[in-house]
Order: sequence, then structure tokens, then C-alpha cells
Amino acid sequence: MAAKIDLNDDSVVVIVGSGAGGGTVANELAQKGIKSVILEAGKVLSLDDIENDEWAMFSKISWLDKRYSKGSWHGAVNHPNLPAWIVKGLGGSTVHWAGVSLRYQPHEFKMKSTTGGIPGANVADWPISYDELAPWYDKAELKMGTTGAVTGMDHLPWSADFKVLAEGARRIGYSKLTAGPMSINSTERDGRPACQQIGFCMQGCKIGAKWSTLYTELPRAVDTGNCEIRTDCMVLRVEHDKSGKVTGVVYADKDGNQHKQKARVVCVAGNSIESPRLLLNSESNMFKDGLANSSGQVGRNYMTHMTGGVYATMPGKVHMNRGTAVAGIVRDEAHHDDSRGFIGGYTLEKLALGLGFLSAFLVPGPTGWGRKVSGAMEKYANMSGVWICGEDMPQEINRITLHDSEKDQYGLPVPNVAKTDHPNDTNMRNHAYQQMSYIYNALGATEIYNLPAYPASHNMGTNRMSEKAEDGVVNKWGQSHDIKNLFVSDGSQFATSGSPNPTLTIVALAIRQADYLATQLKKGEL
Amino acid sequence: MLYDLSAVKRQFRETVPIADFKLTRRGLLASTAFVALATATAVGPTGAWAAAGVSADQRLTLIRMARDIYPHEDFLPDGPYVTVVDAILKEAEGNDETRKLILDGLADLEARAQKIHGKSYVAVADANMREGLLRSIELGGFFQKVRGGLLFGLYNNKDLYPKFDYDGSSWEKGGFMDSFDKIDWL
Ligand SMILES: Cc1cc2nc3c(=O)[nH]c(=O)nc-3n(C[C@H](O)[C@H](O)[C@H](O)COP(=O)(O)OP(=O)(O)OC[C@H]3O[C@@H](n4cnc5c(N)ncnc54)[C@H](O)[C@@H]3O)c2cc1C
Ligand code: SF4
Repeated sequence: MAAKIDLNDDSVVVIVGSGAGGGTVANELAQKGIKSVILEAGKVLSLDDIENDEWAMFSKISWLDKRYSKGSWHGAVNHPNLPAWIVKGLGGSTVHWAGVSLRYQPHEFKMKSTTGGIPGANVADWPISYDELAPWYDKAELKMGTTGAVTGMDHLPWSADFKVLAEGARRIGYSKLTAGPMSINSTERDGRPACQQIGFCMQGCKIGAKWSTLYTELPRAVDTGNCEIRTDCMVLRVEHDKSGKVTGVVYADKDGNQHKQKARVVCVAGNSIESPRLLLNSESNMFKDGLANSSGQVGRNYMTHMTGGVYATMPGKVHMNRGTAVAGIVRDEAHHDDSRGFIGGYTLEKLALGLGFLSAFLVPGPTGWGRKVSGAMEKYANMSGVWICGEDMPQEINRITLHDSEKDQYGLPVPNVAKTDHPNDTNMRNHAYQQMSYIYNALGATEIYNLPAYPASHNMGTNRMSEKAEDGVVNKWGQSHDIKNLFVSDGSQFATSGSPNPTLTIVALAIRQADYLATQLKKGEL
Repeated sequence: MLYDLSAVKRQFRETVPIADFKLTRRGLLASTAFVALATATAVGPTGAWAAAGVSADQRLTLIRMARDIYPHEDFLPDGPYVTVVDAILKEAEGNDETRKLILDGLADLEARAQKIHGKSYVAVADANMREGLLRSIELGGFFQKVRGGLLFGLYNNKDLYPKFDYDGSSWEKGGFMDSFDKIDWL
């Protein structure tokens, strides 16, 4: 029973984006009887739209509105208009995500205290601790169906591909080798089937074994009768009154017609490029540098994780495409130990790429051709590889800004997305390349390929949370320091990136935020 | 030095021998398939490419170039490369911009081949020399047009998946439940 909410209903929560953050907040609020409208820029998607074809899915559901890659990372040259790989569609990037659901380690919430700070980086402590978040992590794992102790669901069985990585890792003395935690059902659970090892998890799970807001949070929110979802609706700006409280949002529908949806509270969850962009685009006489930006931190500290890839040709067949895309994780370098030449840690995540993506990303960009690429492709079935995912240094120069003159199809300034390695990032990546070369050589690999970062799938930090208003954009509830009825509900709240993939933490924060919102609304505080 | 990057390079060198020159020397005329194609296309200008104002020789140059961009000597026949080239020429037939890109690009490539090797591109026998010529134009629109077509035509081509021992779509077969964990050499 879908709610029908009037544009002038100013008692509702307006949620921008239907992905991990937005979808979760909406369902949590709906279950508590709080009405909301989700405005989603992308179109309706369903399991019928999902194909086992990398480029077909990429073109079907990626966010392809104009963006510019800036900074010194190779993507500024090789992916000039694709700084990030994010979904524009119902369910957001949870349609494409792989499902890795690691918790942040306690010290990863306190990197400033742990390290004493890092020159050139804007390292900060989160205004919350692991212990505070732990119960919310439990709820998130139960919601998402994360394999492991909390749900009691076993990790998925090891694929041939993960056995290869794990064996190499074992040979160099590693021992933290697991096929999870993943938010993929290893048994039937919560109305969704067990994984059938179809592969192509990052093109969308055809059977819904992998958690996505598309077929969990969103329909459940709608079913309560408390939530209305409007797709093909791009929010253009957030509006406010003279007192500085937000009053609603202006959005463009499929036909380009503009509407204003009034709101009591606005939750921004457009992922870490669009969320700060929306706040910057909402500048006014009262808030000249954009909404919620008295600290000047909106759009800054853009983090993507320190990433890279290593692929290698094995002496025998692997068929990495068979089974879950991320079939296992090596966590022996995930701890903090600065004797390795960098602070923070990284994981090595088994990542299967199909023929299409591997050919494009083995040597990315215009120079990615020749015998090196074609020779590798001939050995596709023998290939195995990992994605390196590590703590990324927050830097003020890494930021989302608005283009001076160029506008997108909605008439909004195109975003510039700048990313430059901090020396810590470079050192960590090189360390990972070195360790992977040991691992693959221990297996008798005949060729090893080091890949630079892909367009960012993890995007964080551009509306960071902080204890003090002058240091960040939102408080520990994701509530704007400047405007109390404006919330940020996605990964842009992260103060630092940690090494784990972000979504479990986004969902834990979103559940916690919805709980806080409900209490505050009841108290009449918002 | 807290960790040893030279280890990466050292290991890399040990495990990745620089290209096998005997293989890469294989020139244009050593490929029998290509000779057959050259003969067949020399018969006369037919098809879309002719309508695009491209001569049989120029089409052949494009095919040679395509084979040089993603070389698969004995692994792939000419067919998939020809399909990609002809699709570009088909586009050129109806699109002035593409036609100009192709014709100007070919003229430029020929001029470079003449200047450096004193012969036309297809007559440069050493594959490494031809790669060198292509490297000099790789950032241009002409080269990238052909490369882009190939990336899709070779590696996103379902007909060629079996050649690469790649399974492609699996959901309609119920996934890889029977095979995903099988490995016999570890
Ligand atoms: C290929 C891939 C693999 C990944 N694998 C993992 C993994 O294994 N583990 C993990 O933790 N994370 C993974 N991620 C990351 C994960 O998907 C994201 O962290 C997560 O989805 C982010 O949630 P979000 O709510 O911030 O944004 P999203 O989920 O991206 O949702 C944002 C939504 O907002 C909409 N939107 C944006 N701006 C506007 C606007 N102005 N008006 C209306 N709507 C708007 C967008 O269309 C989108 O639907 C992966 C991502 C990708 C792409
Ligand atoms: S491997 Fe499992 S989780 Fe991944 S897409 Fe297939 S069924 Fe879904």
C-alpha cells in the first residue's frame, strides 16, 4: 500500500536517494510509523533488468551524468569523465555492490588519537566509538543478512578462485583467510534464496541472494503505507526559511518539470559526490558557501579507499568468473602497524572480473592495448586477481567542487572530483603490490599485472562528522551542525575511511540515525 | 627502506620474460589468413567501405592495424577484426565526421610509415615496428576509434567467449553450483 504524499505536506521526512543510506533510513522510519518521501534521480529497476553482462549493466544503470576527474590520480587522464562507478537507479549502488560487509576496527574510528596525526592529511577521530556503534552493527548485519556470528549464517563455500588466493597467502605465512563476512545468503533467509554462485554480483544479483535496498528496504518501507518513492526525480536544491531551517526540496521530474516537496526534515543520501554537490548547489544569501558549510568542509576530504588491483596468470585454470565476484578476503595486513611504512591497513579482496572488464582495466585508458593486454586475455581462464582496499588519507585538496561554467542536463553545475594520493596511500599500495607479488610467485604465476585504481566504487568523507562544528559538517548523528533539521545519511559522513568497505557502516549509521530522528521528532525537537 | 619495492620488479622480471621476439617478428605476409584476405579484397571495391570512399588497400591497412592493436596471432582468425573494421566503415558511410577521422587518420599513419620506414604501414614487416608507429598516434581520435571498436568486438563478443574459455552469462543455467569450487592443480 504505497503512500501518496502531498507536495505541501510539511510533516514528512524527505530522503534524497534510495541506496544504502537513503533506503535504510526510509524503511527504519516507515517501520516506526514516520512518513517519508524518497526522491530518486534514477529509474525503477527490478530483477528483470539484471543481465550477466558487465558492460550492458554498466551502461544500463551507472551514473553517467557529466562529471570531471581531477587531481593527480591516473583517472584524471584515463577516466576523465568517470571519477566514480556509482549507480543511478532505484536501490542506488546496492544494486552493483559486491556484498563485503566488514566492521570497522575500533582504532579505525580514532585514527588521530592512534597516530597523533599525519602531515598533509586531515586525519580526525570520529565523534563515536566502536563500542557505541557495535549494537547498530548487529542490527545492520541482521537486516542485511551478513554471514557470520550475529546472523548465525555460515560464510559462503570457498570457490576455486579463492582457494588459489588463500593457498598463495598461506604459503607466505598469512592466516586471516575467510570467505566473508558477506551480505549474501549462504542459506535461504529473510525471504531471499541462497547464493547460486552465478557470478556477476557487481552487475546485480539476478536472484536476490545479495542484499540490496532494491528488494528489501524499499518495498518494505512502501508496504507500511508510510513511504512514497518517486523515481526519475532529481533533487536540484534544498530550500530553507529565514530562521535557517530547511523547508523542503526542489526537484525535476522525468519531463523536467520542477516541483517543491515540503518537508519537516531532509535527509541527504545521494552518495559522496552528489550529496555535497547538492549542499553546494543550495547556496543562498544566508548560506553563501552552500548549506551546512560554516566549517568549509562540505565537499572536502573526499576518500575512495586506497585501492589498486593485482592480477596474475596461474599455472592452471581458475575460471575466476565462476561464483561470487568477491569470493574471499585476506585480512593479514588490515591492522595498524606503522613499521610497514604507512599508517592504517588494507585488505586483499578476491575480485573476479569478466573478460569485458578485465580487458578494459588491465591497462586502463587510451594506452591499454598491445600484446600485454591481448596476451593476458588469451589466458583469461588461468587468471586470478585481487582488489586492494585500504585506509585512504583524508585531504582537503581531495574534494568535490562545482564547475565554473559547464552545466548538466538539469542545469546544475557539473561536479569536479579531485583525487590525489597522499604519500601514505602510495606507500600502502606499493606494499600491497609487493605482498601480492610474493603470493602469486609462491603459486608459480607466469605473469603478474599491477593495476591502478578503478573509478571509485567506495566514496566517502565529503560531509564529515565531527565533535566540534568548526571541524566538520555533521554531528555524530549525521545531523548538520548548522541546520538541525538537515541530515546526511550516507557515506559522506565518514570522518576517515578505515580499511573496510563502507556499506555495513553506512547502514549501521543509518539505522542509528533513524532511531535518533524518531526520538527527536517525538520530542518536538525538529 | 621499510619494504622492498625492488622485490616487485625483480620478481616481475623473473616471471615475465620480455616478449618472445621470434613470435612478434611474424610479419604481415607470414600470416596465411591475412594473405588470403588481401587477395580476396584486392578483387575490387565492394561493400560499405567503398561507399565510404575507402579503398581496398586502405581497408586492408585498417585490418592490419586492428590485428596489431590486440594481436592474437594464431589464436583468432581475421574474421572478428574485419567485422569491427567494417562496422566502423559502415558508420563512416553515413557520418562525415567519422569518414574524415578515418581518412585523415589513415593518411597520417601512412605518412609516418613512409617517413620512418620508407614503405607503407602494411609493408612494415616487423610487428614491433608497426606497434611503434601506432604508439605514436595512440592518443588520437582515429586510433581510439579503432581501439574502442575492438575492445567491444573482441572481448565483449559473446561469439568469441568460448575462444577465451570464458563462460559469460550463467543465471539461466542455474549458476556455477557444480563447478565454482573445482580446481585440480593446486
Ligand atoms: C561495483 C561496486 C561494488 C561495491 N562493492 C561493495 C562491497 O563489497 N562492500 C561495500 O561495503 N561496498 C561496496 N560498494 C559500495 C557501495 O555500493 C556504496 O558504499 C553504497 O551503496 C553507498 O550508499 P549511498 O547511500 O551513499 O549511495 P548509493 O547507494 O550510491 O545511493 C545513492 C542514490 O542517490 C541517488 N541520487 C544522487 N543524487 C541525487 C539527487 N540529487 N536527487 C535524487 N537522487 C539522487 C542516486 O541515483 C542513487 O540511487 C560497491 C560499489 C560498487 C559500485
Ligand atoms: S554469485 Fe550469488 S550473490 Fe553473486 S550474483 Fe550470483 S547468486 Fe547473487
